[in-house]
Amino acid sequence: MVDSLKVRLFKEKLFLAGIAVLTVSTVLPLFHIMFSIAANGVPVLIKGGWGFITGTLAPPGGGLGGIGPAIVGTFILTVLASLMGLPVAVLTGIYAAEYPNSLIGRATKTLLMVMMEFPTILVGLFVMDIVVIPMGSYSAIAGALSLAIVMMPYVAVYTDEALRNIPQKYREGAFALGLTRFKVVFRVLIGLARKGIMTGILIGIAKVAGETAPLLFTAGGATRVYFAGLNRPVGAIPLLIYQLVQQPYTNYHEIAWGASLLLMLIFLAIFLPIRLSLKEVKL
Amino acid sequence: MGKDGYIDTFKYFLLPFCLFVFGLFALMLAVYFSASIPIFKHEGLKIYTTNAWIASENPNKEFYGVLAAIYGSVYTSVLAVLIALPLSISFAVFVIDYAPKRIKEPLIVATDVMAGLPTIIYGIWGAFVLVPLLKKYVMDPLYAHLSFIPLFSFKPVTGYSYLSAGVLLGIMVTPFASAIIREAYRSLPFMYREAIYSLGATRYEATKILIKQIKPAIVAGLLLAFGRAIGETVAVSLVIGNTFNISPSLFAPGYTISSLIANQFGNAFIYKYMVSALFAAGLSLFFIGLAVNILGILILRRYGHGR
Repeated sequence: MVDSLKVRLFKEKLFLAGIAVLTVSTVLPLFHIMFSIAANGVPVLIKGGWGFITGTLAPPGGGLGGIGPAIVGTFILTVLASLMGLPVAVLTGIYAAEYPNSLIGRATKTLLMVMMEFPTILVGLFVMDIVVIPMGSYSAIAGALSLAIVMMPYVAVYTDEALRNIPQKYREGAFALGLTRFKVVFRVLIGLARKGIMTGILIGIAKVAGETAPLLFTAGGATRVYFAGLNRPVGAIPLLIYQLVQQPYTNYHEIAWGASLLLMLIFLAIFLPIRLSLKEVKL
Repeated sequence: MGKDGYIDTFKYFLLPFCLFVFGLFALMLAVYFSASIPIFKHEGLKIYTTNAWIASENPNKEFYGVLAAIYGSVYTSVLAVLIALPLSISFAVFVIDYAPKRIKEPLIVATDVMAGLPTIIYGIWGAFVLVPLLKKYVMDPLYAHLSFIPLFSFKPVTGYSYLSAGVLLGIMVTPFASAIIREAYRSLPFMYREAIYSLGATRYEATKILIKQIKPAIVAGLLLAFGRAIGETVAVSLVIGNTFNISPSLFAPGYTISSLIANQFGNAFIYKYMVSALFAAGLSLFFIGLAVNILGILILRRYGHGR
């Protein structure tokens, strides 16, 4: 150290001030986003009233109407995606946790983590190729399959970690009772890990409820019809926002702000309780 | 298990589900390859090395080159990582070592919310709020005074540009990179801190030494952040300007691979080769994403910061 103490202490002050400023800059956008969404969205919700939630989309340049079909669509897509994705996800997670040192177990864990980070637009394009083209139409099934693939790795990784975190002695105790591996896992360990697994499921649901890219070429979108069948196109709130933002009409931009506020509230309603009940989450 | 003739029925019950996931991933890769074949046959690797987008009803005249999109993807993601680098490290250090207890937890919750927030929310905010702000306070002044520097040489007409996309992506991926760096920083043995401070180091000097210990985690966090940035679709496509363009200037509009797919796929089926060209673009994203993410995950595992 060649610097005098004075210089070193000055550098320390500068450093502390610097990282404090950068820390604030990291979270500042969140507050700006929340403020912007609320400032633009709340008036729309007040003006649109109940009809904004239940009604169908207004014509360009004429009033607000409602985003009912998108809300119904998001609900249908999320439920369907959960039905398709959760069983596979939980069972795959169990495999990775139960056989952590086998080749397949390790490869599965790696694959799940890769899929977690995988560009979701590629999932959408893939599902379009294997479902939408053969069926000849965008559909709720295709959209849900796309979301199921996006959701799967989150739930599987959470299941895996929840099971790994159970103290070894519970496993030993269960085996010592003479239970089969089926019973050890499904009667004892799953019960102990249920909080972690539920967290994964809820994180997965919160994630896919807000996804847009996987739905672009699969769900197709719907703004006037609530639900016409599983093999017909459906709407989704994120998809609707994406489409409306690109339109030149002011009333469509207003609707997009209102829909964004609703989407943000739905996300926070699922996410915050989980987050606050836990130490950390993986996203 | 599995010795002495014992058959692990449990394993064979679960195995199909694992294999299904592998099969799904393999099928995905196969679909991208087979759907790209027509364009490779049509024009070879020129699809990746040229910048052109000639859609024509006459298939012989059709010609596509997605170089501009690959360039834009890398450019915007590098910008995002450059923004995330100082922010995520500072955030991790501040939250673990220096933040007052009362605001520590709220700060972490805030970044977790940011990491999970639907990306379309960033998109609408980016398009309607961030772009005008950047144009007015960053692009216009820099262009007015420093336009002789190539980085600032493009006249910011709309504000939709590489810079807007890079900044928005930077905001989106910082919490994610920070979570990885934070975990590694937190897990440093407390003894290190005691040892450093006992030598009379200032907090600045101590942090400098500690940060050096978690270099692999920082590299991994930034790689994974890059992977996330390059795969992001809707938020970027709303702020990048969607123009076939290869420009060094931050203020020029461009394309990314994912925004190209999002924008062009809707009308691609009218043409003979466009769908295939877009799948080929997707294939390149597939490999970039795969390489970056596997590398990031391996580094994390190797240095014991594995999740």
